[in-house]
Amino acid sequence: MLDQNLLVGAVSQLSLVRHKRRRLGKGRMRTALTFRVTSKQASMATRTLTRGLWSLQRHRNCNYSTAASIKSPPQQSDQVTEEIMKLPLEKPDYFRVSELFTVKDLFDARVHLGHKKGCRHRLMVPYLYGCRLDQDILDLDQTAEHLRLALNFTAHMAYRGGVILFISRRRQFGHLVESTARECGEYAHTRYWQGGLLTNAHVQYGAGVRLPDLLIFLSTLSNVFCSHVALRDAAKMNIPTVGVVDSNCNPSLVTYPVPGNDDTPVAMELYCRLFKMAIRRGKDKRKQVDLLYGLTAPSSPSP
Amino acid sequence: MAGSRLEKIGTVFSRVRDLMRSGVIKPTEKPIWYDVYEAFPPKRPPLYVSLNRRYRGKKPDPVPEIFYEEDKIRAKFYEQYGMGVRPFDLSKSNFVSTCQRFVDKYAELKSQSEMDDSALFEETAKALLAEGIILRRRGSSTVSVDLAAAGSQDSVLRLKLTDLLAEQQSVGDDGKQEPEEQTPHTTQTS
Repeated sequence: MLDQNLLVGAVSQLSLVRHKRRRLGKGRMRTALTFRVTSKQASMATRTLTRGLWSLQRHRNCNYSTAASIKSPPQQSDQVTEEIMKLPLEKPDYFRVSELFTVKDLFDARVHLGHKKGCRHRLMVPYLYGCRLDQDILDLDQTAEHLRLALNFTAHMAYRGGVILFISRRRQFGHLVESTARECGEYAHTRYWQGGLLTNAHVQYGAGVRLPDLLIFLSTLSNVFCSHVALRDAAKMNIPTVGVVDSNCNPSLVTYPVPGNDDTPVAMELYCRLFKMAIRRGKDKRKQVDLLYGLTAPSSPSP
Repeated sequence: MAGSRLEKIGTVFSRVRDLMRSGVIKPTEKPIWYDVYEAFPPKRPPLYVSLNRRYRGKKPDPVPEIFYEEDKIRAKFYEQYGMGVRPFDLSKSNFVSTCQRFVDKYAELKSQSEMDDSALFEETAKALLAEGIILRRRGSSTVSVDLAAAGSQDSVLRLKLTDLLAEQQSVGDDGKQEPEEQTPHTTQTS
């Protein structure tokens, strides 16, 4: 059958594309098809695949259970996508991230403990509550507010299908960060940062690379106690950053800084858990909204 | 996609906004985070701050020191009694150390009676003793006590040795002659 041949050809091309790890061009909405396509041929393959699937469905009049991941929703109009994107921005806390933690949780996780007075960074002074026997104590009220903003931003980015990259150069927590990223379906980079990773990506990785849309720093310092290179690179490439800044870090370039302890395992586990929950909430909400708008007419209200 | 790599000028948002306004970035190419940033901006715009300015002379420390009223009592306690009897167990968040119990008792007694500070200090020590916490004093008296203790320990050791020898000799007299000959040799070498 002609349709089947088309299907096979399309699938093989797409699998090839997936192996090469090409990504979508920037700004375009990801379709429900989980692999990325760049070139005209590959997008043609997508269309062929969907056409093939639909025609097969019509032939056999049944739903494919295996096609759950590659079944595309009925073509969404631009207006619907706009509505979907605008919906969460109207409420101040659409994903209810303020319920995820309390100030007492931060205290129990020892987030308020900073470094000694001698290690203090000049720009962290506004975030300090005081100094107890030469050890800096961070103001947990400010931290809570900043953390809420950061989690809210992360959830929104996850809702919009942004690529999130966790960065931490602390070897003690490398495994924790990597497993957190794996569990929420995002990416992590806890190894040596090569100079041109963001700034020279098109040369190092090929032409159609999609850069991350958000960088989450679980420690803004690198192993030699200077600022991580990725902070400056993200600012150069106009990528927003969320970062946990300790009392010896420079918070000026971080878009959404979170003043907090980045040395204690309890604190790091707390941050990882919170970011994972925020990302999951964003993604689940997006799936929910997609299904809703897919099944009902665009003008109907969502819950 | 066009971009601006000047991280020291303006914020990420201001650069992208101006690029869009000028038409370099098309509305279709708008980054995903732009609307979210617009709706929920951070508390402080992420402007780059240069740290080149070297201050001349000492500036007053802008961060306040954290001290409590109980710190005076704590300082006196540690001066007199050294480290507390019970080691701190930091795994429990509701752990009360010896010093903290002392401070609480002190505050209680202070609210109840009108006494001098030093007298109140003694009263608190007595009260804690009644509850079962023995506080060992750490002061000049303990130095002489240590020396005396050392001297007495030496004498005790010597006593024990002479006792042992006496016992062994008496045992040897009762028993066979061979072990009696051996044992004095071994004791001499040791």
